[in-house]
Amino acid sequence: MHALIQGIILGVLTAGVYALMASGQTLIFGIMKVVNLAQGAMVILGAYLSYQLFTSFGIDPLLAIPITTVAMFILGVAVQLLFLRPLKAEDRSELSLLVTFAVALLLEGIMSVTWKTSVRSINTGYANSSWTVFGYQITLVRLWAFLLSIAALLVLYLLLNRTRFGRAIRATVQNPESARLLGVESSRVSALGFGLGAATAAAAGSVYGLLYPFNSGSHYDLISRLLSIVLLGGLGSIGGAVVGALIVSTSSAVVASAISPSWSEMTFFVILLLVLLIRPQGLFGTTARGAI
Amino acid sequence: MDFLLSLQGVIAGYGAGDILKGVDLDVSPGTVTCLIGPNGAGKSTVLKTISGLLRPRTGDVRFKGEEINRLAPRARLLRGIVHVPQDRSLFPAMTVWDNLLMGGYVVKDQKAVRRRIDEAAAVFPICTRRAHDQAGSLSGGEQKQVELARTLVLDPGLILLDEPSIGLDPKSRHQVFASIRRLAESGRTVLLVEQNARSGLAASDFGAVLESGVVRLVATGASLLEDPEVARLYLGAGRATALTMGGITPDTGRSPSTITSEGAR
Repeated sequence: MHALIQGIILGVLTAGVYALMASGQTLIFGIMKVVNLAQGAMVILGAYLSYQLFTSFGIDPLLAIPITTVAMFILGVAVQLLFLRPLKAEDRSELSLLVTFAVALLLEGIMSVTWKTSVRSINTGYANSSWTVFGYQITLVRLWAFLLSIAALLVLYLLLNRTRFGRAIRATVQNPESARLLGVESSRVSALGFGLGAATAAAAGSVYGLLYPFNSGSHYDLISRLLSIVLLGGLGSIGGAVVGALIVSTSSAVVASAISPSWSEMTFFVILLLVLLIRPQGLFGTTARGAI
Repeated sequence: MDFLLSLQGVIAGYGAGDILKGVDLDVSPGTVTCLIGPNGAGKSTVLKTISGLLRPRTGDVRFKGEEINRLAPRARLLRGIVHVPQDRSLFPAMTVWDNLLMGGYVVKDQKAVRRRIDEAAAVFPICTRRAHDQAGSLSGGEQKQVELARTLVLDPGLILLDEPSIGLDPKSRHQVFASIRRLAESGRTVLLVEQNARSGLAASDFGAVLESGVVRLVATGASLLEDPEVARLYLGAGRATALTMGGITPDTGRSPSTITSEGAR
């Protein structure tokens, strides 16, 4: 029982960072119907940027987030303008898979050249601090990571629900032609939306770098997890991404703690397969648009 | 007479084919004009050409005397042309209030937007009653009322309505046409496309018959309804069932436009 509860605590604390990564992924899909295979690489690039700011200037990864998100927002807008906008609308969904995979490889190459391929980790002063509450261990870094991810998700929620730009994004997701008829420039929303997705990847990357060691090839593992989370929650749903992340993260952590770490990955994929068999559109597929 | 909207010799289409083959049509300010015609005549294409979703290959589209052929949809919106498409156009997972706010998306002055929402809500009480409900939870008729209210947030010079009664039950249809009349009575100009030709013409000051991409006939709505040839070809058999509801029969006191075989002119 102790191991189970410890696993749940760990899973929930880790879920925040995955929810953040996946929310960017699902946002981009919602706006453009583009499955961004470069989202994992963008997260790792965010982690490297945090690593660099930490090692060169001593800036804590959590404090570096405003810098990395702005930089990655600009990168995201540039990727959309350079590589996705030129695609014809009718081919965009299919071709964007190839294009975003190419962007992922390009980013991986740039990261390999810049930071080499050896595994890096961000070791802050509080990296090994932990509290024991009622006999359960809570590491400070995971708690920070969780709180920060929740804060970033809250900012994203407020942006989407309380601003004019957010309304334009949601309108485009829900009814693109109608949004256009009301004066929303879909190309502008797409570019800024892709930038926003990249910015969430940057925030998640800073947190990810605190939690896990990484190298330029880490994005392959990440993107498979992200796609699974997004599929599980329902493509296009931020609420679904959060729930999907909770399921993925908690089930992995519980099985790892209670049974064996070697079973944890498989458990999650079994859940994914079952959900897709019973509900192919994902948990929140039909109400997906509600969340965004 | 100064027309609010004038189409002259408009040819437009998709790909290599032309759907509109020289459309001439004038719309006077403060009137409701209904475009009728068989399926595939190009009725919706006329509206798309006016709102800028489709650019004419040749011909002129003029709004308040200005040629707007090359303007993007957004620029036309800023000039006061608002287009309500045939399919449900609300954002289903947004509240009614947010949908109304989207109606003023291009308007910089947010105070004006709020004021117009209040004005629109006075005309369409559903907007106040269901302000915080998701638009997708409203019935088809209620959604259409909110769509009409949303057009008012732009303070439009011209409202283009594509098949406003499609998919609605008779009671909701009645309400929609009554609302269109109310818009006209408050000085709005409406150009609507309607498959339900009898109801559309009964709610309109003028009607235009579009066939094979050309306007064949323009007259008052009432005179088109009484025209046996129009009735035989476009209104279907049977007596007129449209708009026996009180108070919304349009003002037919105007002298009928000249009926020609070559359009409005």
